[in-house]
This record gives sequence, structure tokens and C-alpha cells, in this order.
Amino acid sequence: MELSTLPQQLINGILLGSIYALIALGYTMVYGVLKLINFAHGEVFMMGAYAALFASWALGYTPNNALTGSNPVNLIVMLLASMTFCGLLGVFIERFAYRPLRTQPRIASLITAIGISLFLQYGGQLFLPSSPAPNIDGKVNPFIGNLEVTLAKGAGTSAAAAADIQSKAAVAQKSYDDWKLSHKGADEFNLPADGQALLNVKHDTDRAVRDLKDRGDSGSLKLSVPRGQFIMLVTTVILMGMLTYLVMFTKQGRAMRAVSHDFDAAALMGVNVNGIVTFTFLVGSALAGAGAMMSATFLSGTKIDTFFGMLPGVKAFVAAVLGGIGNIPGAVLGGLLMGVAETLVVWLGYDNYRDAIAFVVLIIVLLVRPGGLLGSSKVEKV
Amino acid sequence: MTFWQTRLGSIALALVFCFSLDQFALHQNSFIQRLVVLAGLYVTLAVSLNLINGITGQFSIGHAAFYQVGAYTTGSLAGAFFNKAHLPGPAWLILMMFAGAIGASLAGLLVGLPSLRLKGDYLAIVTLGFGEIIRIVVQNQKALGGAYGLTIAPRFQAIWLVWLLAILCISVSRNLLKTAHGLPFLAVREDEVASSAMGVNVTSVKVTAFLIGSAFAGAAGALLAHFEGFISPAMFTMDVSFIIVTMVVLGGTGSITGAALSAVLLFYLPEKMRDLSDLHLSTIVAVGICLVIAVASIKRLMDHFHGEPRKRAGFMAGVVMGAVVLVPILGALLNNFDPLKTSVEGSKLRLVVFAVTLIVLMLLRPQGVFAHHEFSWAWVRKLFRGTVKAPEGVA
Repeated sequence: MELSTLPQQLINGILLGSIYALIALGYTMVYGVLKLINFAHGEVFMMGAYAALFASWALGYTPNNALTGSNPVNLIVMLLASMTFCGLLGVFIERFAYRPLRTQPRIASLITAIGISLFLQYGGQLFLPSSPAPNIDGKVNPFIGNLEVTLAKGAGTSAAAAADIQSKAAVAQKSYDDWKLSHKGADEFNLPADGQALLNVKHDTDRAVRDLKDRGDSGSLKLSVPRGQFIMLVTTVILMGMLTYLVMFTKQGRAMRAVSHDFDAAALMGVNVNGIVTFTFLVGSALAGAGAMMSATFLSGTKIDTFFGMLPGVKAFVAAVLGGIGNIPGAVLGGLLMGVAETLVVWLGYDNYRDAIAFVVLIIVLLVRPGGLLGSSKVEKV
Repeated sequence: MTFWQTRLGSIALALVFCFSLDQFALHQNSFIQRLVVLAGLYVTLAVSLNLINGITGQFSIGHAAFYQVGAYTTGSLAGAFFNKAHLPGPAWLILMMFAGAIGASLAGLLVGLPSLRLKGDYLAIVTLGFGEIIRIVVQNQKALGGAYGLTIAPRFQAIWLVWLLAILCISVSRNLLKTAHGLPFLAVREDEVASSAMGVNVTSVKVTAFLIGSAFAGAAGALLAHFEGFISPAMFTMDVSFIIVTMVVLGGTGSITGAALSAVLLFYLPEKMRDLSDLHLSTIVAVGICLVIAVASIKRLMDHFHGEPRKRAGFMAGVVMGAVVLVPILGALLNNFDPLKTSVEGSKLRLVVFAVTLIVLMLLRPQGVFAHHEFSWAWVRKLFRGTVKAPEGVA
């Protein structure tokens, strides 16, 4: 735990939280119209990651023979593939698993949802590549490097010292390279004495260059965000803006709000309730698909298996409850808070507990303010 | 027969059953012994969860947590005190069952308290989260062996004790249901507000249900720890909780008979599937398609066919038979497609079967196989004679 890394951790938390927010939107929208916790939403997210993976393979970024270089069009294709697939999957689940049970007690739908999520997790293992867990090839991402913002300058180094040490490093590098050229086929891990001596000099000078740079940077405060993750954040914000427009300013959105306000009254007023529920599942699941594609592509080292959606799904659900389930801005706020809470736990040094924090937050929220931060807890009328 | 005669008779019968099962299992191989023990433990778990979910109407899906607490409490106690206690095996085991039950019921109290404010799906999530928190905390305790698990020194093969616990759990539930003590539980299940208006102390009923249910799970955990000789957090994941919930739901939420029978069935079937040979993917797809068709048509029959019940049952049987016949034909057809020719390990299907059972059951019979019904001798008599014999003295 070091205070100077806190701003960076907050940024990381917001980046992570934006994905949770996208998933949480799906939970909250479905809860809004049906009062149902769609337990299978995390698994829809998982299937979205697989859709993105297959799309990237179709575009030529297969594990054996990946293309080099990419362009944003590939990413857009993957995003659309994932969103479409997830949207359709969500609609399918609603039509065949939840709609027949709408007249039954809600627990029945909840158990079905658990059944579907188990089915996708374990049934997916039969059809989908899961061991060894594949990942989307990093080369598909054209946005390489970091965006850096310097908040405070470091101590700095004298230019002369830097030039001196760098020239020494270059000389050492060159002499080692020359030696290697004259000794073709030398085993790099078991060199003869003269080669080893040259390699040691090279390592020493390299280390000196790094030391000098670190000493110059010490005390500086830099924020760095991988470019890809910045694009991810921008896309998330755009999607949320589109959702806000959809819900607040279109006919469909007005119908959605009406259904969520009062299901039966909306039906009596001529709203096509089934159509709206289908539409809600379509939109919510497509958002999860977008989140899945982006987290699988931009968060480095993400391995995809059939349990990929379990923890993000649970955390996003907690985010939705934290913000007030059924409340769209609440889901975004809750998602960001969950992301920040998780990175803060890691920052405090309890990284083994990063998955437990979600449940702790959930239990505290439900005990202290069951309606969530932005939600209103209603008094139950008898 | 007087009250005490029947009571003593049932107790003697239970003891005879347990010891004969013990004797039977002693002559079998260790795999069968394991099956018998674990089946008994799952019966205990399912029936005790049924007390919370079925009889009291709460919705807990974190039962594995209590199981774990029981196992770990006794595991660490055994490591510290077994050598000093100088107790004979069975006495130590019974002591440990109590210890596990106390440990788990403390945890149950912890979960039961939030349940006072929460209902339905929220309670479900909290219990699930609680289970995960316990598992993660245990996983990070070096003293409890962390993720590597804990080895327990004395191992006992007390099959009779396992089944005695199961029978005890069943009889506690049954007596609760049949006597006046159980009425508040049923009242809370049916309507919380109305029952509290009638003077039922809803708080104490809910907490009691959690206490009893978790105590039995804890005792089961104690027996598991001493039977296996090794416990690790990986043995108590969410999946275990889901499996126990499936058992309760399949049997019929609220039915003790249903919970016990489906626990045995749902435990035995997946174990049987472990030695399933490799299957072609085409067969699995064919089964899937036929299942969807069968479920859809049965659902349609149930919803829209208002003819004679006998005729309806006949149609349903026909659909099922047709689906069964269709599977090999469709499988053979699908086998012509290349991507479906790959074979899949049959053992991978174990949890898929759970999932499909849950979904199909919820679609066709949400109240479970037994619904609220219980096994009774009157029902058996009716099955054989066609009528229920009226009790003496009733015209």
C-alpha cells in the first residue's frame, strides 16, 4: 500500500467498474420490467466472450497463425457479433425459460435461472473450447501503448550522466552481439567464459540505465492507461448514452418505463408487454455482450472458459443492488463503485479477498439500505 | 398400540436398519461404502435444507456453508484434542457431531438474522454470498490448511451413524410438521404478515428454522470430515449448494419424503454417470432436441388439453415414448455431420444433467415431484386396496 499509487488504482477501478456497469444494466433492466433476478445473465456475458473469440478467429486471428496488425473495423465486427449473439441468446432464454413461468411464483423462475446458468456453464464445456482456456489474440487490438498523464514531475537526472551511461550500454550491447556473431550456435544459458563476461557487462549496463531512469522518475506521479482500455471506457460511455436516449426519449423506452412502473396497468393501456419484455432482454443482453467483448479483448491476459461470467456476473449483480435495482443510473454508479472497491481491496494488500468484497458490500447494503443508493425502499402494502 | 409402543418400535426399526446397512456395506468395496455414506449425508443435507426452504418458506441457497463450517470446526478440534481425549471412536464421533452442529448453528444464526429483513431472491443471494465468504475466508487461513485442505487424523467408517443422523433429521422434520410446534413454521411459509398478525413470532420461527437446519448440516459436515480424513474448500463450492437445492426442489419443496428420495436419486445417478463410456456429440444433440420437443409438447398438453385425465396421461406417455424412439434415429442421422462426430467424456455430463433436470422440472411441475405430499401407510394401503380404510369408530 503506497499512497502515491492511489490515483492510478482509482483509474483502474473505474475501468474495471465500467464493465461491471454494462453487465449491471442488464440485471437492472430485467429486474425493472419483470422483478426477476436473471441469474443467467453472467452466463450470457460468458457466451458473449466466446462469440467475440470466434469472431476474432473468423477474422484470421487464430492462435496458430495470427495476422499481425489490425484496424478498428475488426474490433467493431467483433463487438457487433458479440452483441448480436448475446441479444438473441437473452431473447431465447426469456422466451423458452422465463415466459412459461411468468404466472408461477417467482422462486420458480429463479430456480430455472440457476438451472440455465449451470446448463450454460457445464453444457458449454461439451461444445466450447475451454481447456486449455483460449484467449483473444492481443494482435487484434490496434490500440497499443499507454496514455500517460504526468501529475507531478520527478527529481530528474542530468543529461550528461544519462548520455554517458547510455553510450556505455550501447557499446556493451554491440560487443556482445559481435561475439555472438562469431560464435554461432552458442547456448545462451551455458556460455563459455569470455562470452559470459561480455553478457554480464551488458546486463550491468542495462541495469544501470534502468536505475538512472527510475531514480529520475522517483517522486513523479504518473497516470497511465492502456490505449485499448481507454477506447473501452469511451465505448462504454457511448453505449450508456445510447441507452439513456433509448429509455428516456423513444416510444419503446417510454413503454419500458411504463411496464416497469406497473406491469398490468401498462398491458391495459395497450402496451405490448411481451414485446417490451423481449426488447428489454435484447438490449440488456446485448450490453452484456459488449462488456464481454471489451473485457476479453482489452483487459490483458484474459482467459476465456465457461466460468468466465460467474464472478463478473455476481459482482455486477451486487453493483445493481448497490445502486438500487431497477434504477438505470444506479446500476452505472454501483458498477463504478464495485470496480473501485475491488481495486482498493487489492491496493490495501488483501488481494486474496478481492472476490469476497462483492458479497460483503452486498450484505452491508441489504442490511443498511435495502433499496440501494439511488433506489427508494418501498413500504410493502398488504 | 399405545403411543410409546409405536415410538419404541420406530426407534428400534431405525436402529436395525442402520446396523444392517452397516453390516451390508462392510462386506462391499470401499467405493460402495463411500456411496452409502455420502448418500446418507446428502439425505441429511437435503432434509435439513427442506426445513428452511420447504417448511419455513425461506429461500437459502448457501447450505454448503454450514456443511463446511461443521467439517472445519470438527477438523480443527480433532487435530487439537483427539489424542488428549482418550475417547472410544463412536463417543468421539458423537461428540464431534454435536461440536459441528453447534459451530454450524452459530453460522446459521449469523445468516438467519439478515433473513429477518430480506425475502425471496434477496435472501437467496445473501445466503449464497455468505457461503462464498466463508469459503474464501477459510481458503486464506493458514491454520486451516488454506486452499490445500486439512488432513484429519482419526478416520472412522461409521456408516450406521451417518444414516442414524439422516433418520434423526427426517424424524425431527416429520415431528415438527405433525405437531403443534410446526404450525408457526407453516404459517410463516404461507403468509408472513398474516401469521404475525395471528401472534406468531416470525423472527424466532425464522431463526429457529435456520438454527435447526444448519445444525444438521454441521453434524453432517463433522461426519464427512471424519469419514474422508481430508477436507478442502474446493469440496464446498456453490455447486454443492446448488445440488442440495436441486434435491429439495425436485422432491417437492416442503416434502420430507421428496427431499430424502431425490437426495438418494440425484446423488446416485451422477455417480453412476462417472463410469459412462464416451458418447458421440451427435447423440447428446439428439437427446437435447428430443427433450425440447417432448417438454414443449407435454407443456402444451398440460396447458391446453382439457379432456379426460386418463386420455391426457396416455398422450403424455405417447410423447415420451416417441421421444425415446426418436433419439437413436436422430442420433444416427446427425452422425453424418462432421463436427458432431467427436466424442465427449460421459462424466462431463454430470452437472449438465442437474441443470436440465432443474429446468425441465420447473417448466413442467414447478411444485416438485411430491409437491406437499408425504409418504404415509394410508397411501400405501390405498395403492393396494383401492380405498382408504376409515379409522375405527368413524362411520
